[in-house]
Order: sequence, then structure tokens, then C-alpha cells
Amino acid sequence: MLPRKRTVEGEAVDGGDDKIDFGSSSSCDRESVLKKLRIEGSVSSTSTEKTTTSGGEVKISGSGADLGSSSNGKDSGERSLTEMAFDDGNPHDIDEDLHSRQLAVYGRETMRRLFASNVLVSGMQGLGAEIAKNLILAGVKSVTLHDEGSVDLWDLSSNFVFTENDIGKNRALASVQKLQELNNAVVVTALSTQLTKEQLSDFQAVVFTDISLDKAIEFNDFCHNHQPPIAFIKTEVRGLFGNVFCDFGPEFTVVDVDGEEPHTGIIASISNDNPAMVSCVDDERLEFQDGDLVVFSEIKGMTELNDGKPRKIKNTRPYSFILEEDTANFGPYERGGIVTQVKQPKILNFKPLREALKDPGDFLLSDFSKFDRPPLLHLAFIALDKFVAGHGRLPVAGSEEDANKLISIARDLNEALGDGKLEDINPKLLQHFAFGARAVLNPMAAMFGGIVGQEVVKACSGKFHPLLQFFYFDSVESLPTEPLEASDFKPLNTRYDAQISVFGAKLQKKLEDAKVFVVGSGALGCEFLKNLALMGVSCGSDGKLTVTDDDVIEKSNLSRQFLFRDWNIGQAKSTVAASSAASINPRLHIEALQNRVGPETENVFDDTFWENLTLVINALDNVNARLYVDQRCLYFQKPLLESGTLGAKCNTQMVIPHLTENYGASRDPPEKQAPMCTVHSFPHNIDHCLTWARSEFEGLLEKTPAEVNAYLSNPSEYTSAMRNAGDAQARDNLERVIECLNRERCETFQDCITWARLKFEDYFSNRVKQLIFTFPEDAATSTGAPFWSAPKRFPRPLQFSDADPSHLHFIMAASILRAETFGIPVPDWAQNPKKLAEAVNKVMVPDFQPKKDVKIVTDEKATSLSTASIDDAAVINELIMKLEHCRKNLTPGYRMKPIQFEKDDDTNYHMDVIAALANMRARNYSIPEVDKLKAKFIAGRIIPAIATSTAMATGLVCLELYKVLNGGHKIEDYRNTYATLALPFFSMSEPVQPKVIKHQDMSWTVWDRWIIKDNPTLRELLKWLADKGLNAYSISCGSCLLYNSMFPRHKERMDKKVVDLAREVAKVEIPAYRGHLDVVVACEDDEDNDIDIPLISIYFR
Amino acid sequence: MSSPSKRREMDLMKLMMSDYKVEMINDGMQEFYVEFHGPKDSPYHGGVWRIRVELPDAYPYKSPSIGFVNKIYHPNVDEMSGSVCLDVINQTWSPMFDLVNVFEVFLPQLLLYPNPSDPLNGEAAALMMRDRNTYEQRVKEYCEKYAKPEDAGAAPAEKSSDEELSEDEYPSSDDEEVAGKADP
Repeated sequence: MLPRKRTVEGEAVDGGDDKIDFGSSSSCDRESVLKKLRIEGSVSSTSTEKTTTSGGEVKISGSGADLGSSSNGKDSGERSLTEMAFDDGNPHDIDEDLHSRQLAVYGRETMRRLFASNVLVSGMQGLGAEIAKNLILAGVKSVTLHDEGSVDLWDLSSNFVFTENDIGKNRALASVQKLQELNNAVVVTALSTQLTKEQLSDFQAVVFTDISLDKAIEFNDFCHNHQPPIAFIKTEVRGLFGNVFCDFGPEFTVVDVDGEEPHTGIIASISNDNPAMVSCVDDERLEFQDGDLVVFSEIKGMTELNDGKPRKIKNTRPYSFILEEDTANFGPYERGGIVTQVKQPKILNFKPLREALKDPGDFLLSDFSKFDRPPLLHLAFIALDKFVAGHGRLPVAGSEEDANKLISIARDLNEALGDGKLEDINPKLLQHFAFGARAVLNPMAAMFGGIVGQEVVKACSGKFHPLLQFFYFDSVESLPTEPLEASDFKPLNTRYDAQISVFGAKLQKKLEDAKVFVVGSGALGCEFLKNLALMGVSCGSDGKLTVTDDDVIEKSNLSRQFLFRDWNIGQAKSTVAASSAASINPRLHIEALQNRVGPETENVFDDTFWENLTLVINALDNVNARLYVDQRCLYFQKPLLESGTLGAKCNTQMVIPHLTENYGASRDPPEKQAPMCTVHSFPHNIDHCLTWARSEFEGLLEKTPAEVNAYLSNPSEYTSAMRNAGDAQARDNLERVIECLNRERCETFQDCITWARLKFEDYFSNRVKQLIFTFPEDAATSTGAPFWSAPKRFPRPLQFSDADPSHLHFIMAASILRAETFGIPVPDWAQNPKKLAEAVNKVMVPDFQPKKDVKIVTDEKATSLSTASIDDAAVINELIMKLEHCRKNLTPGYRMKPIQFEKDDDTNYHMDVIAALANMRARNYSIPEVDKLKAKFIAGRIIPAIATSTAMATGLVCLELYKVLNGGHKIEDYRNTYATLALPFFSMSEPVQPKVIKHQDMSWTVWDRWIIKDNPTLRELLKWLADKGLNAYSISCGSCLLYNSMFPRHKERMDKKVVDLAREVAKVEIPAYRGHLDVVVACEDDEDNDIDIPLISIYFR
Repeated sequence: MSSPSKRREMDLMKLMMSDYKVEMINDGMQEFYVEFHGPKDSPYHGGVWRIRVELPDAYPYKSPSIGFVNKIYHPNVDEMSGSVCLDVINQTWSPMFDLVNVFEVFLPQLLLYPNPSDPLNGEAAALMMRDRNTYEQRVKEYCEKYAKPEDAGAAPAEKSSDEELSEDEYPSSDDEEVAGKADP
């Protein structure tokens, strides 16, 4: 299977999700864009976003709850308006500020179940610590750490909580305090004595990372037969090999198999037939699968289907499916209707370990080039258990004798399998297995910590599909290419001894001397810094790690960016992360910068900086920054290790100079936006309403006040600019400014309420009335088809009522923010529904009059141009006169305060206004409304993120890091991964090679660059290319054209030096130390075929 | 496909080779104006519009942004902002398309076959649906009032020449428009 690429989160340098243009313009790029799926079965990012919020739909029975917002407690006697408006049942139990990104993945119900779960993690070496970390961050009720052994030097290669001072202490006791710091809401305890099976009854899930098979079988039998069953997970990492076994009991119910929001479709027609054929509008592809159950609603005509009964479908196609129902005698379909998938719980029957060992069933595959590996590893791990049982120790690294013993045990076991025996037990692989068996490596612990952490969450919540039942993995390709001697593995009595026992001391030295650049220190960045510190990367005298991030720590980061604590909120991410990483390994040579990486910081990250690097690790959260770093790595020929996560999904991509394609070589299509006209007047889902709401928010509260200030700070310049522009846009701007300063200027809070009330009338009544006046319900298009046909929904105006909490909530939130823009203090009574209702009822609301010029269409006189077409210039002049008049009545220095949307502050009323706007609009169009949290996910474009997938991604990348730093690996040794822990699904594959371009007897890839010396003129450059059979028609520098054969005036540039042209035309400033300039040349060969040639570096000094 | 910056150059080149009048701002390739003539057999025939084209960073993966600078009366063009609601240059854009497609096919089709079912200018859409003749008459009035050849160049050119004066000190700074006219 080919890899699927997905990019994704990682919180960093661009702060992406805050800076999105939500408006209708095409620059609306969502930063968490998924990279191209090279495989069918795509999941659109919008649907992913939806999926992640499914918690919003889970209603808790009998909730009289509020949203947990601290702002609405002012009137303790009465329920606040926020509570009443969003009755979404969150009884103060979830810290939404802390968990918002994770809530976007799990939903509230899953989080509640997690909060009730007690988990045991037994075996506190590196893997145990990683699992415990992920569970504590996720927020279970309690985590009990169990270990009877004590910390030794080898543990320091993989366990981030231990320091050299802990050596000799009990592992569980030494871990408890540092793990507790990650989340005070979780009870973390240590257990250092022998465990009895009866003690397991205290837990909903137990995890063993270091347990003999005999003991495991005994415990598992107890858990499997316990009432209710206790979820049992056994996992271990041995060198570059690892496994997981899950048993969640004889009958385990999966509530939600994939975490995806139920898919929906808008119906276009249904046949009267058995079975019936249902077709849907071709607006969006259907995502149903054969065998899905669906329900129908809003169907006109064939109303029998609106009964809410789930029905099975088959033959699913992009825009149609067959419904297993005899509709022959149903009413004929007329119009309308929505079809919604019904998600079914799934019951799984797990086998106990005792049985599963003999009959493992299907293994979960991770790498199709190793399809025969899992049965062998199954055998190898059983053999290793026997070896340990027999010898009382693990095999020694580099000991052929031990390896041979293990191989012979494995051979005997295999022989005993009879018919099921393996043809080849691959002694070489088993030798690697034996050599590394004692070592717990940090990247393996990080990877398996993510996988197992997710399985525990599944066991506790029923969310996502559990692993059935064995998973085996190895990364032997990470071993150095050259053969190693036994002496290479010898412990050096350092904290890296475990790692040295697998890779040898030479690679360890290379790790320590590496100069690494980690771009971003958000979720991915924190995990990377921990991994690198433990691996000893950049910890040598020549090593240097640079981390940069321009962001500061926020509360919502803490649920996964585990190097940060709540007392760090407001501090620079990179600085805090660097000092935390240095406390994990004090030898780490790390420098923290607060610069965003981009063209504007090339003075900081200059040529020397890049040239000195060994490699670059991206830990970014947006595609643009990734593309930029990719271009830099391409230019300076540096390896780039790229990764990203989105909810439970993650991907990694290795970019190795000359070996692989670069990151930007393949791209996802940009995210689909709703068409402007749909958002404008014809929304048919809540996303459309929220898009509209955000753009109105911006217009009313940010752009207009900013426009007012622009005018007031320099009236003459502003008005003359408007006069010069003289277009409709200028006129619109002026009208908005004048409204704010004249007609709608607010001086008291009552004015703000009036404004809000009139806005309500305008948005949710008048505009709708106007629209249905222009297009009545029975309007027909030129072809006679009904205008209001699917997916368009016919709107109905709202009648304001002070008894409706949502109406009142809109008034409250909107008037409070309006008051803020005018600097008017908000009185306490603004929050009191009764008093607010009194105030709003004082507002005089004029009756609606439809715009006349739209009506008189058949009237002969109507052909005269409407008012809209009167000269803009004349209107603008008149507006400016009015405006200047208004200004005279203002105090000097009068300014408004523009409000910038901030999604993560629950007390600022921003999301209240947006959710209210969107929900009232949804009500106009009979679209289901959403609660504030879900509105925040969609409108705030919150990228769902959890600790588990992040940890796994970084573990996978660090397994590749061994290959990059050792050098000499072929492309076949590298792996890119796409994985989703929800299913679970892993797809690892070789990176793609760079595209080779051939021309005459030359060939090149994107990694090549051409160099031309001696400061050529344009003419000389063209000749140099012509000599290669290349006819250049266009030469550019940056985004500026230096030469285009179509422009006669460019001919005059022929005898200028290219560098001078770049300075004059492109205004390029070349730093004094740089002797060259890069230009992009578009050219054709003699047959007029476009030839994509490398970047050309022109040396001029 | 070649690198995005080269796609810009190639697309621009092809547009000019197809005899479109392209007006660039300071030799930048991100943003420029193209002159567009109303198609024959449509009420827009004879009208000339200045179309503002913006190529985003992610072009051609991301669609160009297209806007009418001088006014047009059309169900799918916002009268105020000139923005166009057309699926092929928004949701269904493909990197396989180029600017010649936009000006040769997409925009002429839009003017020949407006889609009043998804209106951006509701008034124009309603009028078109109810009374085609009056609608066409109004289209023509708008053309005469706002889309004469001088409207497509004169007014906004004034604005951009301001910019040119302030920013472009290149000696032979004759307008790119002139260059465009002289195209083969």
C-alpha cells in the first residue's frame, strides 16, 4: 500500500490557527491542511474536524448545567444567559481550557469516562514512563505506577523522569513526583511491592511493560474472567523490536469505531422501488459504505422514510446508493430530505493471552515489505521469555553465545508448531533481536508509549477501535550499515549504555556531535526535545541543538506539551522547553530562540547557520512554514525530518538530500471552501453559518472600528484616498464609518443594546424577508425548476422574543462587545436576563420594508438605473461631507477599540457572539444548532490534538534519525509512515525518489543547482543557457520578473548585469557576505518543450 | 509539474501569447490586471472589463483570485466588490487549469450562461429569472455606463501609476500596458 501523507499539528512557529483569514476571500488557508492522500478512501479535513467534535452531540440526561465559564457567575441566584443559551450539559467537570484540543478528538463523553478510570502501569523503565505520561496528560482518574526494581544507568537512555541522582532508588517511587506534575487532576501513586492479582480489581485497565509470560497469563486470566472484565495490555520494547497484546475481555463494546462524525447527504431523489434508489445532490461526495445504517429526515412526499428507523444501504456511490426498503407503495418523493449515517456500536470478543499465544489470529501489519515478520517476532518474543526463564537474565549485547541459545530455543519452538511452522526463522534477525534485548530505546518507548496509551484510552472509554490483539514491530533498518564488532557494544558506563549496546559507540559519538535545528517547540517540539536529550543528540562537545518558536505557553497547550507546567503560562515556549530538556539531560547543548522561521528572519537564520547544521527536524503546525523550511533544506542540502499529527492520525516524511523527493514535491489540494454565494445567502450546514458569523464578527467589531480609527487619525489623507479610489468599496467603507460615528454611535450601554437589537432584526428578520421577497418559496429558475431546491434551504425570519434565552444571549454578548469597541463600561445588570429583557424591550424596531427597486422588474420605468448605480464618486463626496461634519462633534483624540477574535478565552464573549450569530442563522434555515464548544472548534479552527499520536510520531522520526546521522543508508532503509491510532492502522513505506529530469546528455533533480560565475549580463546568461540547448523566456528573482521575452522593454535590459537588474527591479538586498544571487529560469528546448531546470546561482563577486 | 514560481511565469507567458492585454505592477508576478472583453452572442458584448488577478503563494495548487474592477451587472458577480462566484475558480479549481482557461473559457462561459440559482447579486438573478429582456437591457446599460474601453484602463490605471511613480525608479518606466498592446 502506498503511503498516505498527512500533515498536521505541532503547535509552533506560525501560531497558525490564530491567524486565519476566515472571510470569503481565497486567501483562506487553513494551516492544518492535510497533505495529499495518494490513496483512495480519503477523509476530507472538514469531515475530520467534524468527527472530532462528536462529543458535542452527546447529551447528558437531566442536565441543568452550565458551560463552566467563570464569567457567568455574577448572578449566582439565577442561571446565567450563557448557561441558558447553550444547554449543553457540561456540569463543571471538564476543564475545557486545558483540554480543548483533546476534547476536539474525544468529545465530552469519552473524557468523562476517562476521568472515572483507574489505570495500573507496571514496569517503570522508559516505556512505562511514556505510557504513564500519556495517560496522565489525557486525564484519567488515577495512575498507579508499579515497579519492584531500582533505577540503573541503563534506564537513563529512555526514561525522561530519572536523573543520575535517582540511580538505586525504586523506579516507581522515583517517578511519581515528576509524573504528578504533568496534571494535578490525576491521582498518581507508586507501588513498589510485589503485585497480587487480587489488587488488579482496583483498576479498569492494567498495563505490563516488563512481565514474564507465566505471570502475564496468570494476571490475564484473572482480568479476563473478572466481573466486569479488566482491560489487560502487555507490551515490551527490546532494542529495535517491540510488541503489544490487548485483551479487553470476552465481550467488549466499542461505542465509536473510528471517531468520525456520522456522514450525511442531501437528497435529490428517491425511487418507488424495491429496493429503492436514492440519489443525492452533487454538492459533496457521499462518504457512506455498503452495510451502513442510515436514517432520513425532512423528506417531502415520501414521508414514510422520516420515521427515524435505521435502514441498511448498499451499492454506495459518490452521489447515490441503494436503500434496502420496499418503497413501491410509499408516497412519491417530492423534494428535500437529509440522510444521516447511524453509527453502530460494535462488540468484540477478545481471547485471553493463554489462547492467543497459541492461536494469535491476524497480526496488525505496519509495513507491507515485512508482511511475514509478525509470526517470526511472535516466536522470537516467546523464545526470549524462555531464555530469561532459563538464565535469569536477558541476552548480552554482542554475545554470539547468547544469541545462538536464543536462536536454538526459537528453532525448537518452531519445530513444535508442526503444520504452522515457519519456513525460515531468519537467524540473522534473531541475532539482532538477542543483541538488543536488554536495551529500552527512547524512540521505541515513545512510539509504543503512544500506541499503548491510546489503547488504554480505548479500553476506558469505548472510543476508537481496539488493537486485535497482537502487534509486532521492528526497525532493524535503524542499525548502522557497517558491521559492528562485539567491542562496539561494550558499555562505557555512561547514561547512553543501553543505546550503545544496540548501535555501538561510533554512532553514539555522531549523535552527540550533531548540530540539529528543531523548528517549533509545541507538542511535537516538546516530545522531540525529550527524545533528543535522552538519545544524547547534541550532547557532545561539538554538538549544538537550536530550537526556535515565537509562541508563548497557553493553558490549552498543557494537555500535551508536557515540558510545560501551569506556572509557565505566558512564558516563551522555546525557552521553557529548552530548560526542561536540559534538566532531562544536563549535557544537552541547547539554544532557545523566539524567531519565527521565514524570509523575514534570514538575518538570524543566515547562510552560516544553515551551512553548519547536520540536520533539521520540523515540529510545525502549518503547511506554509513547512514549505519554507523545506525550501531552505533543499537549498542548503540538509536532511529534513518532517512529521505532523491530526487527532489520532500522524505522518512522518524523511527528506534526504539527493535520495528522496522534497516535502513540497507533493501537495494536498487546498481545503475546500464553501462557495461565497452559499455562505452569503444559502447556507445548508452549520459550517456555512459559522463562516458567515466569523466574517460578520470581523466586519462589525474589528474592521469597522479600525476603519473609523484610520479615518480619525488622518482625516484628510483618508478621505482623499477614498476619493481617489472612487469605487464601490470606498463607498462601502465610508458608509460603515459614518454609521459608527453618526446614526449608530453608542454613548451608553442602552445604545449598545439598541444597536444589538436592531442588528438582530436586520440579520435574522429583515434580510431573510428581503431574500424571500426576491425569491419567493415558489420562485422558479428560467428552466422552470424550483429555485429553492436542494441543497438550498428555504429560510424563515425570526421573531424576536425576550423569552427566548438564545435571542437574549445574542443581545447580551453583542451589546457587551459593542460597548467594548466604544469604551463604554458594561453594567452588572447586563448579565441579568430580566433586566436585559426590560432594556431590550425599550428599543423601537421599525417595520420592515422590502427594497422597492427589486420588485418593479416588469415595469417599463424599472429600466432606469437603480440608486445603486448612481455615480459612486458623487455619493462618496456627499459621504465625506457628512463625515467631516460628524467629526466636528467628537472630542479630539476620539478613537474606537477594534476587537480581534480570540477563541481561547471563555470569558471574552467572542465565541458567544459568533455562536449566537451562527445559531440564529441556522435557525433561519432550520439547520441544527451547535453548542459553544463545537462552535469554537469549527469557527476557531481548533486543530484536534492528543499526546499519544504526537509521541508516536516523534518516536518514529527518531528511529529514522539514527539512519540519517549514521549516514550511508540507501533509500530502501528509510521509512515514511502514515498511521492512525483510532483504527488502528499503520502504513510504513520507502520514501519516494526525487524526479530526475533529462535534457540532452545532462540529468538533474530538485537537489541540484547550476552555478554561473563571473558576474554575467542578462545577454551572457541567456547565451550560457542557449549553449545548453535551452531557450529561456522568463527569468525571475523572488516573485519579481527580471526578464520576459514578451516585453519589448525588457530587451533594454540585455546588457545589464543580472545582479544589477535584481537590485533595481526586484529590489533585492544582497548581504555583504554573500557573493551570489539565485534566479529561477523558465525555458524551453529546441522543440518548444518546457524544461524544468535547476535554480541558477549567479556569482558576481 | 514545475515549481510553482515557474508555473506563474509560464501561465503569464501563455496569457500574453494569446493576445491578452496584461498590466503588471512593478514586474511583480503575484498580482496584475488583465483586460477582458464581453463575449459575442451575449448581452455583455462590447463591454470591456479590467480583471484583477491575484496568484496566491500556493498557485497553481490554489486557485487564482479573480475580481471585476469596473462594475458588471451579473447574477454571479458581487456588484459591490466585483468578486466572482464560480465553482471552477473556487471549489473545483485544479492545478491543471491555467490563466488562459480562466479568460478563454471560464469567464466567457460565466457571461454567456449566468447561473441565477446560486446568485451573488440576488437582484440580478431575480430579474434574469423573471424578465429576461429587462435583465439584458440592464446588463447593456451597465456596459455602456461602466464598461467602455476607457473604463477598463483609465480610472484604475491612474491609481496604479501613482504606485509606479513612487516605487519604480527604473528609467524606462513606460507602462507595461504599452508593452502588452505591442504583443504579437
